Amino acid sequence: MMKRLLSTGCVAILPFLSAVVLGQQTRPAPAQPARGAVAPSTPQPANAQPSAEAQRALLDRYCVGCHSQRAKAAGQEAARKLTLDDLDPAHVGEHAEKWELVVRKLRAGMMPPANSRRPDKATYDGFITWLENELDRGAAAVYAPPPGLHRLNRTEYANAIRDILDLEIDPSAYLPSDDSTHGFDNIAGALGISSTLVEAYVSAAGKISRLAIGRPATPGLVVYRTPEDTSQDYHIEGLPFGTRGGMLVKHVFPSDGEYTVTVTPIFGDNMSPTGFGSIPCEKLEILLDGERLQVLDWIGSRRLGAPQANCQGDSASTPQRGRGAAPGGRGAAPGGRAAGPQGGGQQGPEAFFGGRGGTPMRARFKTTAGAHWLGATFPATNFAPVLDLDRHFMRDTVQTGPTPGFTFFPHVGTLRIEGPFNAAPAKESSSRARIFVCRPPTTDEAACARKISTTLATRAFRRPPSGADVQGLMEFYQSGRKEGGDFEHGIEMVLARVLADPRFIYRIETEPASARVNQPYRISDLDLASRLSFFLWSSVPDDELITVASQGKLKDPAVLERQVRRMLKDARTQALTANFAGQWLNLRGLQSVGPLPLVYPDFDDPLRQAMRSEVELLFDSIVREDRGVLDLLTADYTFVNERLAKHYGIPNIYGSQFRRVTLPPDMDARRGLLGKGAFLVTTSKPERTSPVTRGKWIMTNILGVSPPDPPPDVPVLPPRSADAAGNTKEPTMRQKMLDHRVRQDCVQCHALMDPIGFALENFDGIGTWRTADGDTPVDATGQVFDGTKIDGPVALRTWLGSYSTQFVQVVTEKLLVYALGRGVEPQDMPLVRSIARDAIRNQARFSALVTGIVSSKPFQMNMKVADPVPSQSGDGASRDRTKGAK
Amino acid sequence: MFITKRHIPRRTFLKSAGCTLALPLVDAMLPASTALAAAEAASPKPRFVGIFFPHGMAPGYWEPGAEGRLPAKLPFIMESLEKVKDQTVIMTGLWSKSAEPPEGTTGSDHWVAAAYLTGIKPRKTAGSDATVGSPTIDQLIAQKIGQETLLPSLQLACEDPNSSSSNCGEGYSCSYTNSISWIELPTPPNEPYVHTSPLPMELNPQNVFERLFGSGATPDERRARMQQNRSILDSIREQLASLNKELGAADRRTIGQYTEEIREIERRIQLAAKATADVPDVPLPTGIPESFDDHIKLHYDLTALAFRADITRVATLLGARDLTARSYVLPKNDLFPNGGVTTSFHGGSHHQEDPVQIRKYADINRYHVSTMAYFAEKLKSIPDGDGTLLDHSLILYGTNMGNSNQHQHYDVPHILVGGANGKLEGNRHLAYERKTVTSGNLLLSVLDMFGVHRESQGDSTDRLAKL
Repeated sequence: MMKRLLSTGCVAILPFLSAVVLGQQTRPAPAQPARGAVAPSTPQPANAQPSAEAQRALLDRYCVGCHSQRAKAAGQEAARKLTLDDLDPAHVGEHAEKWELVVRKLRAGMMPPANSRRPDKATYDGFITWLENELDRGAAAVYAPPPGLHRLNRTEYANAIRDILDLEIDPSAYLPSDDSTHGFDNIAGALGISSTLVEAYVSAAGKISRLAIGRPATPGLVVYRTPEDTSQDYHIEGLPFGTRGGMLVKHVFPSDGEYTVTVTPIFGDNMSPTGFGSIPCEKLEILLDGERLQVLDWIGSRRLGAPQANCQGDSASTPQRGRGAAPGGRGAAPGGRAAGPQGGGQQGPEAFFGGRGGTPMRARFKTTAGAHWLGATFPATNFAPVLDLDRHFMRDTVQTGPTPGFTFFPHVGTLRIEGPFNAAPAKESSSRARIFVCRPPTTDEAACARKISTTLATRAFRRPPSGADVQGLMEFYQSGRKEGGDFEHGIEMVLARVLADPRFIYRIETEPASARVNQPYRISDLDLASRLSFFLWSSVPDDELITVASQGKLKDPAVLERQVRRMLKDARTQALTANFAGQWLNLRGLQSVGPLPLVYPDFDDPLRQAMRSEVELLFDSIVREDRGVLDLLTADYTFVNERLAKHYGIPNIYGSQFRRVTLPPDMDARRGLLGKGAFLVTTSKPERTSPVTRGKWIMTNILGVSPPDPPPDVPVLPPRSADAAGNTKEPTMRQKMLDHRVRQDCVQCHALMDPIGFALENFDGIGTWRTADGDTPVDATGQVFDGTKIDGPVALRTWLGSYSTQFVQVVTEKLLVYALGRGVEPQDMPLVRSIARDAIRNQARFSALVTGIVSSKPFQMNMKVADPVPSQSGDGASRDRTKGAK
Repeated sequence: MFITKRHIPRRTFLKSAGCTLALPLVDAMLPASTALAAAEAASPKPRFVGIFFPHGMAPGYWEPGAEGRLPAKLPFIMESLEKVKDQTVIMTGLWSKSAEPPEGTTGSDHWVAAAYLTGIKPRKTAGSDATVGSPTIDQLIAQKIGQETLLPSLQLACEDPNSSSSNCGEGYSCSYTNSISWIELPTPPNEPYVHTSPLPMELNPQNVFERLFGSGATPDERRARMQQNRSILDSIREQLASLNKELGAADRRTIGQYTEEIREIERRIQLAAKATADVPDVPLPTGIPESFDDHIKLHYDLTALAFRADITRVATLLGARDLTARSYVLPKNDLFPNGGVTTSFHGGSHHQEDPVQIRKYADINRYHVSTMAYFAEKLKSIPDGDGTLLDHSLILYGTNMGNSNQHQHYDVPHILVGGANGKLEGNRHLAYERKTVTSGNLLLSVLDMFGVHRESQGDSTDRLAKL
């Protein structure tokens, strides 16, 4: 009763109170010296008490109506999630977790709901500031729970191999997929172990060591495939100008020797109706490292009985023989097609494993061990006899055969590389150069082996190895030397052992003997170096970082900051783009979206890849040029190639390479993430847009609040009603969504998400600009949850701009999850706010976020946990237990 | 026809220094198993396959009507099972209670594929303590029948979790969506939850092949590599003991598990050590096929191959991930004379009760079931002991929703195909009362068929009546 009286009593003085709150707000920012969990410790204690009273009043007036225990007892949804009348604003620290929830919703402007009363903006903001200060004040001095033991995920493994051995591998060929959680796949807790994995690691160690050393190998086959929705009507970047389509791959050849490359057409070349629309006399050019190896007749469709036109000219009937001496193509065996068995493509593995036939076109060539670029493409000499009556769709391929409206240039489907034949030991390759830091004739064998072992172990274990470690490796060297008969074989064994070592596969951090249970401790400089390099590069530290760390200097904040800046300038930060942005912005998801070809006949793989590159380049520009992260939402520039520019309607862009363009005023809607194809496609269904998904994505990833998931037993939508004329025509997307919202408990959440999504309805399911959905004009208006009325993408962007503080916090939070490899907890939020605040003072520059994280306590500390096993031996009960089970 | 044994020069596809196909541990192990298989062909071994597709099935298109014998004309979605009808049991009315969100909450029902083979709601967590509360039944079965084979079990998937990894449930670990096979871990005392760990589902048929058959051009080469791997494993195991001293308690547990896994592999090497020299002449798949149809059939081919050679007796396959945006290219055949492309699997599953859309959705289910029928027919074509592989196998095919439009978890389709060594009588439709009989009952009865007798499994209330 008392409370109620109080709350009504307070109404009158509200304006005054808000002024007080405001007054506070201006002060704290510069007053906070700290970052990290050292946290703002002493902001304005004097005002705190009266302020808490006032905040109680605010809560009672605007929040408690729904969030009360009484409402909870009555089973109301809002109160079931949170009650506020039982929380004491004077002691925020007692329920920090709940208050964090409150402040998050307020920061995103989500509460009170749109149709409820709200305090004026100043009061609203003042409350947020007060609450954040209270929370920060009450935060523990150090919150640094153990992040867990990290296993390298696939990406990190491949990057580490690249940096240790100068060898590029496709990790999916060696290791199974990793689990992810909290939005990322580098979370220690989700990276489990199984016998499949251990086996894969040991097996990969053997394969990779052989590949890196390049001893003569027995022949093998590797197949590269084009995506099914590829389009090869235009030039592909990296292939010679004047060519059209085809395929370009970077392949690591296992040893010196001869290889064959076999080219098969996509879908057995059955995109073109027999002899109708297919192009006679097409040539296929095979290239190695940009040099022509051979020109073959394209005979992909002959199988279908296409008339064999009389193709006169230079390479007509037996081009492969005539050109046997082409650069690099000193094929010893009969070159070209003749080298293969008759109809080899029919007998080959393809015939068993889903190959679609077609006659192989094959070239045989010599090359050296290591990475080479192999290409197959078409000289662009023929013009397609286009069947399209109306318009040429951008997508060429439809798996189910010829579809009217698609054109029929031949397309490369697979490159199959076989070999080596007549293999010889590799003489030189980039990997060998990186491994053999000395060579036996000039150095004593054993001394050299020791040196190589030490170097490899240092790189792989991210620390100088102990004498015993090296001794252990030397045993492998000796046995390899004895069995294989030569020095290189010994080194190969050492390498295999190093790559199978748990100290390579796990990011093991040493627990100091002095550590006490539940006490955080500072990790060693070498462990810090690893945390840093896996954060910024998704890979092992480089020599400089290891050197600095071994000298014990990395803990020096100035040295640390210098290293961070150096690392951010390095090309390896591409990993941040590929992994952090790739997952946060769901660029990886782009790979699996497949807009339906009959709805979106212009969507194809080149467009998909271009969309991904665009956002990657945008993000990369923010990292490399150290821009503010808000540019992600607002940048007036973007990156396009001809394909993407055409899709967006940007004129005068030609060629397959990407370039930076400034978006003209009429392309305003394309600014920032919201106008990017990658975002628009991944948040659509294959056959239509999804305002719900778009709205939800923006709320989650930009505003940092997640609307609840849909309840089970979603009610059936009412049958479509007929209009005045009696027609039940297909409703627009907007209408469908509005239908969704007829039920009260649906309305609640959809009212949050849908209006945001509606504002983007001018972009269709593949991000094309449109002004009508079917024959109904697009209506991009809506009222978002804080009551603001918006119309279209630009207005949406402007509105989101008013939540820029929240956005910076969201980026910080995501980046912190990614950096620590664990989920962010309510106890981490003071740190998140502090980093974000410091960064905002620095234009929210990317480097400011990174340095904030890197110098924070959780990043630099670990914590000893109690041994759950009350054991005497310390060996672990788990082991005994499994022993018993056997 | 089984994977054709037409001759391919082995050098074409076996082992290359590196590129992508070299020797895994198991390579020298196959011959032992084939020898084993030949010797013991007299007493047929049971085999188990668990297959999961999310998103339920189109209502009205899969139910066989009255209980009893299956109708002369199978329902639309089930039509492809015609040739194995005698060994098919279709169950209607089952309740996937474990897939429902916890009482009083919303959401989370798209993130429980892992409950399919446990009948238990996974623990709500996004952290390292993710657990499904019990080993999945395929793993319980593998413990019983898989210990003598080279691989106790095989896990396959057709969709890469990496491609949509940011798309996991609110507060639920992605591992619940990524894997339907979980093993039990040692649970420390005083822990309320049984610890379990997901097994990775292999996407790449080439890796599957290598795990089954290995590579390496000559017996000498295989022997040498096995020797190398064995000495590496030995030395790692020795090292782990000393490494343990430097680690914190939590890390020690992880490393302890690593050690356990090494023992498991060493066990397999022991088996393989008895190897003779020949590797069957089967061609090596080369990476992940672009087309789903090729991909899943290849997985099925390899599973059949592994069953035939008795390399493993237990397999699971995750046909699609929850919420997948995938649409399917329908292969032109008797079932789909016009081929075509389906709507998206998840989008189509929310058919809004629109008859046209339900019919479209049924195409997807019909297609998915037909891939399983392909597998069943393949097993049927392979002689095994006194009958065929299908006679000795049990395929459990199911989902965890009924009418997916509303995310209903009752009336959930489940199919059993195979003779289960005489333990399953086919050509039957078993109907259960709505929201009464949980899928746990089915799991418990399936376990029985493999001689794994438990008191209960997950939410089971009893053994499945009538089965």
